[in-house]
Amino acid sequence: MHQIAIIGAGPSGCFTAQALAKLLPEARIDIIDALPVPYGLIRYGVAPDHQGTKAVIRQFERLFERQGVGFFGDVRLGETVNLEALQGLYDAVVLATGLSADRRLGVKGDDLPGVLGSGVVTRALNDHPDANPVTISERVVIVGNGNVAVDLVRLLAKGAGEFHGSDLSEAAAVQCGDVRRIDVVGRSPSDAAKFDPVMIRELGRLEQAAIHVHGLSGEGKIVEALQHLEGHAPEGATCEIHFHFGWTPEEIEGATHVTAARFRQGDARMVLPCDTVLTAIGFEGDTPGADAEGFIAPGLYATGWLKRGPRGTIPENRADAQGVAARIAADLATVTPAKPGRDGLLALVPGAVHYEQWQRIDAAERAEAPEGRVRRKIPTIAQMRSIAQQTGES
Amino acid sequence: MQIAVLYGTETGNAEMLAEDIASHLSDHDASVTNLSDFDPAGFDAGTFYVVVTSTYGDGELPASAQPFAEAMEAAKPDLSGIRFAIFGMGDSEYPETFNYGGKRLEEILTGAGAERVGERVTHDASGSDMADDLALPWIDEILSTVDA
Repeated sequence: MHQIAIIGAGPSGCFTAQALAKLLPEARIDIIDALPVPYGLIRYGVAPDHQGTKAVIRQFERLFERQGVGFFGDVRLGETVNLEALQGLYDAVVLATGLSADRRLGVKGDDLPGVLGSGVVTRALNDHPDANPVTISERVVIVGNGNVAVDLVRLLAKGAGEFHGSDLSEAAAVQCGDVRRIDVVGRSPSDAAKFDPVMIRELGRLEQAAIHVHGLSGEGKIVEALQHLEGHAPEGATCEIHFHFGWTPEEIEGATHVTAARFRQGDARMVLPCDTVLTAIGFEGDTPGADAEGFIAPGLYATGWLKRGPRGTIPENRADAQGVAARIAADLATVTPAKPGRDGLLALVPGAVHYEQWQRIDAAERAEAPEGRVRRKIPTIAQMRSIAQQTGES
Repeated sequence: MQIAVLYGTETGNAEMLAEDIASHLSDHDASVTNLSDFDPAGFDAGTFYVVVTSTYGDGELPASAQPFAEAMEAAKPDLSGIRFAIFGMGDSEYPETFNYGGKRLEEILTGAGAERVGERVTHDASGSDMADDLALPWIDEILSTVDA
């Protein structure tokens, strides 16, 4: 029996496991995660009011519940266990740790207090245990022209009553109740914006935000969707959203805290006074230099954003994971299984949180969901561990 | 009666449901095929088709159903005598395009002369029901009305 370890229980790791389970039904697959809880960006990156998108988790649950895939949570690569040890235990090790660092603006003032990366904010909105509390003030500038920017706009512009059915953090980590104006600024012209039209249209259902779209040019589905948004003005709106296109960030102004963001377009300048600048211009980090099939070195692979860069949605990464799995299956066909795999890892990390323990955490989160919400996430690793270690029916 | 479950998927949710329906119908020895691997010339009047599809992007067919739609458009086969049931998967977070995928695929099949049996039902990913809980009773009911 071949033994395969996947490091990272996010969507790419889970989709890789799913494809491997199909290709190699005899293999034993373990998924390791630094957190005691699985699902990575599905749990902590997909917006809390997009529960339908999070429904892919039902596929992943099946891996653990019916297909014999093992979960080893609270196992941090390089701390709890190192890569060499895992390679000694497993015939194939797949890195699926993603890219989580926010790409910086790279202009003067981009490190001022009040400038926050989208990842930092998204983790706080999702009660990620490593998230630091963030404060978002009345006037916000969001730099970026992709779906992450739209998520931030929507989450900041929604009123308390618009989160029914979500699992939004109960303001434990994010102070953002008073946003009065959001300017969304993109470098590219409107017809090259990377928003999905369906995400733009969703903004047309905001109940408390008036929307203005400036500088539209070109044509296409995105431009049409933006045109539809222009003039959205629900009665009693408490927040204004302004979209701007074709402006390049030049400087974030402020002495001890952000006071304005400055942009240029040719010789023209635009200065937007603000208290908070959110950057949604992508993610970065060191990548291991995998080839197109995810191969790094014999027995070592990468999948997902770590392999292909921080691009692509859930389905694109699923398709990519299937390609990586096919490569691993082909390589393993020439490898005689002789490694200890799961038994060895169990001995190495006796404190790991396993799937049944995650189910206990999951049940606790659902049981404690506030009125109108689907869950209340356990916010700290210590509390997660404590629930995981409870025994019996309690 | 031979049963073939055909699915169009993008994230894998419809694929999983298609597999669940097929195992539920194991007495019929139901097959499961991705629409991306299904040739419209292969429709057979002796088979009952169960079609499962999601909706993706801006109300489009999911990626794996698109080659099928193109092949249907190109081949324009006559599907009279072919019977099918169709189950859609959507997300009510996007009400403008909720289950356009199922609607569109149904139009493609009935437009070619195939007959829909039973209601087209749509599962809502943002709802609390599991797709299986909706789909398995749905297909049992439909099959009870179809000649053995």
